[in-house]
Amino acid sequence: MKRYDAIVIGGGLLGCFTARNLRRWDLSTAVLEAREDVCTGISRANTAVVYPGYDHKPGTLKAALTVSANRDFDVLCRELDVPFSRCGSLMAACGPKGEAVLRRKFRNGQENGVPDLQLLGRDELLALEPELTPDVTLGLYAPTAGTVNPWALGIAAMENAAQNGAALDRNAPVTSITEDSGGYIVETENETFSCRAIVNCAGLRSVAVQELCYPSPVQLRITAGDYLVLDSLTSHSPKHIVQFEPEQGKGLTAVPTVEGNLLLGPSERPGVDFGTTRDGLDFVRSLTRQVLPQVDLNDTIRTFAALRPNPERPDGSSIRSFVIDRPAERFWSFLGVKTPGMTCADALGLHVARELAGALQVNKNPAFQPVRNGIVQARNLDFEARRRLIAETPEHGEVVCCCEDVTLAEIHAAIKAGATTVDGVKRRVGATMGRCQGSRCRLKIEALLREEAGHGN
Amino acid sequence: METDLLIIGAGAAGLSAAVGAWEAGCRDILIADRRAHLGGVLEQCIHTGFHGDLTGPEYAALLSCSLRDTGVSLQLETEVLSVSQSREAVLSSRKGLERVTFSQMILASGCRERPLGALDITGARPAGVYTAGEAQEMMNLRNEDPGENILILGSGDLGMIVARRCFLRGKRVIAVLEQAETYTGMAKNYHRCMETHAIPLRAGCTVTELHGEGRLRGVTVRELDSGSEEFIPCDTLLLATGLIPEQTLVSHLGNPPWLHLAGNCNRVHDLADSAAAEGRSIGLEIGKK
Ligand SMILES: Cc1cc2nc3c(=O)[nH]c(=O)nc-3n(C[C@H](O)[C@H](O)[C@H](O)COP(=O)(O)OP(=O)(O)OC[C@H]3O[C@@H](n4cnc5c(N)ncnc54)[C@H](O)[C@@H]3O)c2cc1C
Ligand SMILES: Cc1cc2nc3c(=O)[nH]c(=O)nc-3n(C[C@H](O)[C@H](O)[C@H](O)COP(=O)(O)OP(=O)(O)OC[C@H]3O[C@@H](n4cnc5c(N)ncnc54)[C@H](O)[C@@H]3O)c2cc1C
Repeated sequence: MKRYDAIVIGGGLLGCFTARNLRRWDLSTAVLEAREDVCTGISRANTAVVYPGYDHKPGTLKAALTVSANRDFDVLCRELDVPFSRCGSLMAACGPKGEAVLRRKFRNGQENGVPDLQLLGRDELLALEPELTPDVTLGLYAPTAGTVNPWALGIAAMENAAQNGAALDRNAPVTSITEDSGGYIVETENETFSCRAIVNCAGLRSVAVQELCYPSPVQLRITAGDYLVLDSLTSHSPKHIVQFEPEQGKGLTAVPTVEGNLLLGPSERPGVDFGTTRDGLDFVRSLTRQVLPQVDLNDTIRTFAALRPNPERPDGSSIRSFVIDRPAERFWSFLGVKTPGMTCADALGLHVARELAGALQVNKNPAFQPVRNGIVQARNLDFEARRRLIAETPEHGEVVCCCEDVTLAEIHAAIKAGATTVDGVKRRVGATMGRCQGSRCRLKIEALLREEAGHGN
Repeated sequence: METDLLIIGAGAAGLSAAVGAWEAGCRDILIADRRAHLGGVLEQCIHTGFHGDLTGPEYAALLSCSLRDTGVSLQLETEVLSVSQSREAVLSSRKGLERVTFSQMILASGCRERPLGALDITGARPAGVYTAGEAQEMMNLRNEDPGENILILGSGDLGMIVARRCFLRGKRVIAVLEQAETYTGMAKNYHRCMETHAIPLRAGCTVTELHGEGRLRGVTVRELDSGSEEFIPCDTLLLATGLIPEQTLVSHLGNPPWLHLAGNCNRVHDLADSAAAEGRSIGLEIGKK
């Protein structure tokens, strides 16, 4: 039976960052992930925004964590070698109701300490972001908002945790948890572990996992939302994150992603799987036409859906704050963390890791290394650097994914780093994400995966 | 490196353009292609019907032969990464990265297929959904099967040819679906590919939703006239829903006088012969300069 100080259940953004931060202390750590890869749950599909922190009530943990996490995001992404674009966000209103929302958020933001927030009138707004509808009347400009790819971030955190000694078991759904001499026995389908403490980061299943051992103070109502992704060559993509606050109903976010695409969404609707719906997509299209009228939706290359866990009290009322439950001295649960859970993932992981280290009374890990080096991608290099790279590693000369310029050496590196599926390769090096959506390279990647699996046997 | 004429793509159009330019007197020509073989997409078209009754690979061989007696330089397994306004292309291969400056350029980069995400199809994203060209590559170049119970969306030539190929590999082709009133490819292909093998055509309908976790379990098909919907079980859906000229490399360039487009990257040609003819005439014209 394998023994660990801490077992993290679930390898989404929160699990990956919790593991990373646990290794800042002298805590042997394992992540047990039910699926074939990390970041395939909630964290596989979100709006990709690093929020500035004006959405939340002053004085709340959410407000404080978001503002400080946003401030530290450049450092975090430099440490983890993850592309981050601090492109700024514009929240746009076209009438009195939306304007009132913006004014309230502006005041919140000032109280929360969000830097450089500005309310802008129509002309200033259109000068800053000419793609906005001329009907716009007021805008809230947050230059500190940014965008990051959720799975790139989560995978980087897990790799950093692993490099610092954390173990990762995939295809390991936890099926049973029992208290045992001050700690726990944790069973997966194939293995039994013992540990001194548990952090439950099971996302959509977090309540179910807690209920393997303790009652849960909340229930999760799952809803879904739809997104569209546009070709990176589409014209009239905004340069900033644009958030539309319509006069009635739900708003829309448009994000110029780090990959160069335009991401539009999400809708809000019932749903318990990752399938898209026509109504949801039509909602996104309709709001896009209102706020970014020039965007050509015929340039769509992909649609996808996301799942939201909405924590509710037993009386059915919804909970706005992050729910971090501690049903026992050595058991922590993130119960349905939604927006801005990605922005705050490192901060939340650190928060729980610190408590856990205190409870187990362990020392800091002096060998902790926060810097992770990602896979070298030829497309990010200038001519000379790329030439040298190919001279050293000829497989960098062969482009496999021609839309996104991903080389054979990068695909091999992704497989070596743990990808077992085409999606796993996509999440590690971006292959198949472009305008042909893998129709010209998927078969080749599948063959490489099979080849590599063959070698492993 | 320098060259008078750079041709990107060694498919029917690029090869013919090179031969045309050589015949017209141009003596400094370089063709680059990412593939290992000449002929572009012809390699995977193992059926007959090219240039009379040749197979795709035979036609590719024929086109390559006419290149043999010329002094055209070839760089295969070479990706053209970028082309700049200053007439410089960056080429990448296992041998290295190099800059090529040129006086004239012919883009003969073919086309790509419209992917699932660009279609108005909702629902899950299970395995078992391929573009028709991908399925053609699987069966003809990799000896793999896309699936067992196959639906094909789109009755252009590619859709019908792939339907026959699936049938000949012993698969069950449930139907070829088409949103128009009848098939959109050539009558010849309808007779040879569909009628001969009794593959059903269902016109006036489209796929609106995919079902299945892991593997495709079936699709919702909507009759466009009545709006009625039906679930059709299948494990594979092949998308033959359109070809898009591949102009990404030059999309930022506008229309400089040194840039010429030939073959499917200019407009989608039904017949490889027509792509070749277009390449040849552009080559002849540029070669004179
Ligand atoms: C629509 C949407 C948009 C969002 N947009 C943003 C945004 O723009 N910015 C932002 O900051 N935040 C955003 N968020 C929030 C952020 O995405 C989430 O907070 C975060 O992804 C949650 O991660 P997680 O680790 O809790 O869950 P998950 O990613 O779901 O991870 C949980 C993991 O646990 C595993 N698991 C489940 N059961 C078991 C078991 N029994 N045993 C082992 N493993 C198990 C699952 O397989 C899964 O991998 C958004 C969220 C949603 C829903
Ligand atoms: C999937 C598919 C299946 C077809 N099947 C049939 C059929 O069955 N019967 C029929 O009559 N017609 C078929 N056609 C049509 C016919 O084959 C074509 O019209 C004709 O062969 C196209 O020739 P081309 O030279 O324009 O393009 P292609 O043959 O596609 O050649 C373009 C070449 O450019 C290369 N290239 C592109 N970009 C770069 C770059 N950046 N760097 C390096 N190289 C690059 C590509 O690798 C490719 O080899 C098919 C077309 C497609 C796309």
